[in-house]
Amino acid sequence: MGSVSIRNARKSYGALEILHGVSIDIADGEFVILVGPSGCGKSTLLRMIAGLEEISGGEIAIDGKVVNSLPPKARDIAMVFQSYALYPHMTVEQNMGFSLKLARAGKDEINQRVGKAATVLGLDPYLKRYPRHLSGGQRQRVAMGRAMVRDPKVFLFDEPLSNLDAKLRVQMRSEIKQNHQRLKTTMIYVTHDQIEAMTMADRIVVMHDGVVEQIGTPLDLYDRPANLFVAGFIGSPAMNLLGGKVADGAFIAADGTRIALDRAVPDSASATLGVRPEHFRLDPNGIPAEILTVEPTGAETQVLMRLAGHEVMGVFRERLTVGPGENLRVSPETGSLHLFDATTGQRIER
Amino acid sequence: MKSQTGLLFALPALIVLFMLIAYPVAYTGLLSVTDAKGNFSGLDNFAAVLKPKVTVQAFINTIYWVFGSIVFQVVLGTLTAILLNQSFFGRGALRAITLIPWVVPGIVAATTWAWMFHTEFGIINYMLTGTGVLQNPIGWLTNKDTVMPVLIAINVWKLFPFVAIMVLAGLQSIPNDLYEAARVDGATFWEEVWYIMLPSVRPVITAVTLLLVIWGLNSITIIYAITRGGPANKTLITPIQIFRSAFESFQFNQAAALSVIFFAVTIVVVFIYIKVLSAQPGEAK
Ligand SMILES: Nc1ncnc2c1ncn2[C@@H]1O[C@H](COP(=O)(O)OP(=O)(O)O)[C@@H](O)[C@H]1O
Ligand SMILES: [Mg+2]
Repeated sequence: MGSVSIRNARKSYGALEILHGVSIDIADGEFVILVGPSGCGKSTLLRMIAGLEEISGGEIAIDGKVVNSLPPKARDIAMVFQSYALYPHMTVEQNMGFSLKLARAGKDEINQRVGKAATVLGLDPYLKRYPRHLSGGQRQRVAMGRAMVRDPKVFLFDEPLSNLDAKLRVQMRSEIKQNHQRLKTTMIYVTHDQIEAMTMADRIVVMHDGVVEQIGTPLDLYDRPANLFVAGFIGSPAMNLLGGKVADGAFIAADGTRIALDRAVPDSASATLGVRPEHFRLDPNGIPAEILTVEPTGAETQVLMRLAGHEVMGVFRERLTVGPGENLRVSPETGSLHLFDATTGQRIER
Repeated sequence: MKSQTGLLFALPALIVLFMLIAYPVAYTGLLSVTDAKGNFSGLDNFAAVLKPKVTVQAFINTIYWVFGSIVFQVVLGTLTAILLNQSFFGRGALRAITLIPWVVPGIVAATTWAWMFHTEFGIINYMLTGTGVLQNPIGWLTNKDTVMPVLIAINVWKLFPFVAIMVLAGLQSIPNDLYEAARVDGATFWEEVWYIMLPSVRPVITAVTLLLVIWGLNSITIIYAITRGGPANKTLITPIQIFRSAFESFQFNQAAALSVIFFAVTIVVVFIYIKVLSAQPGEAK
């Protein structure tokens, strides 16, 4: 069916290598999200899968068949573009049926399949309209519909929600996810937004500067980031990273603050401790921290504080009555600490 | 600002414009209903120009000339634009070269082509007979069957670059995403041309065609410089007939009458054209 296997894929523009050997195995029916900062090569990789960009090295196989030299139309994929790329001079109906028309499908079949997709996406009232008479969200649905009508082996999405306002984005997220659950077709989805990745994906591929940093389920990445990049990238507010060393089974911050670890770790001269904001507890015997800002959101309170020589973000369920300039004592949950080798950036297993 | 104040500011310009446009038109109208001494003569001039067979033939020639030219100018121009929109080595140079015929002054182009098509000394007959394609030289510009097609070919050569450049500008404004979407949807190159490129540049082609119609109806240079309407009036189009009756036969009043008729017909043609095209359900406006 729609498995995708990327083996050591490389991409260069002239002498400049953009992707440095990327390997990902995607099972049939999986919803995989490629996430990473702008310019890390996500779109390039997606376009290589689509056949819109040549593959400079390595192999890409769809459904077990190497597609390196196949044109897009021979790969049985459908793509939703960031700009939607709807044909401006075609109605919604014609846009959605275009691929079937090119495949010389009969009128009845086209109408039936377009109608079915339009019903699922709530586009029935707009079939005769032109794209420029649609709102952003409706255009987005048409782009989805155009892909769905084809019933491809793999759906490819390149930042499909980035042109929508925040509210619509949340709504479309769940619509896409529902469509995936209904269609059970492989989806590869590119975004720079880690929240989008966390909420939608079966598995996330974190990319950075043309390499894969980590592949795993959303909670895997959250609970066990493989390196400093993933630790800093996944999660919002971001994980706090403190510089220091490991000695006598404890982490010693640069300013000498001692934070106990729950398990024996070999000594190390340069280590980075990661603490997620929600893993700080108010503790009268904890580490002293000077409060810089307090931001109550209702459900919780975000506190930016100076702790062990670092600016550190803490998120507390309690309603705090303290204000900037005052002091607080907090301690990190020992069982939820992350430790990284500061020179290699790799996670140190505890 | 009140609309009257605006009018006041625009008035000087409007008066100049009015005199520049209205005066010649009105004067032509006046000439067409008077005789050479300036006396009112009713529709005599119109009757006089419509009577001879040559007027009808000139009308037919004009239609042949305009439509023959435009079909090839638009088709060749659009194909050239599509070619020049592909990426290949030397594209910039080719784009510049394509513009040459349009930049060359009409009279220079006409003279050059007249020599190239010359029966005895022209390079075209030389090459065709030299390579054995033709046994005997053809009198391109003296044979009544070949002269109009040859003139149309020269006119096409002169103006297709204009079409190409305009259509190319239209093609360049098509976002790359659309081609990619079409390719993912399974379109071949010619399907991209048919379903993406042509619909997107249709407004450009419409506007350019209108210009070509107007230019075609007004063109004198190429034909006058090469054949002056001959042989046997085979290439006499109405503008040349008007020009010759005014400045070779000095029948200004009859020329004016013919101008008025021609003007009326032209207006009707252009109006029908605009109506037909704006009635189409096009979207890429
Ligand atoms: N045609 C190209 N020529 C040269 N460099 C390119 C080209 N396309 C993309 N790049 C570079 O490749 C890198 C990755 O681009 P892209 O895949 O679009 O990143 P992302 O989608 O992750 O933001 C960027 O640094 C970009 O500048
Ligand atoms: Mg991108």
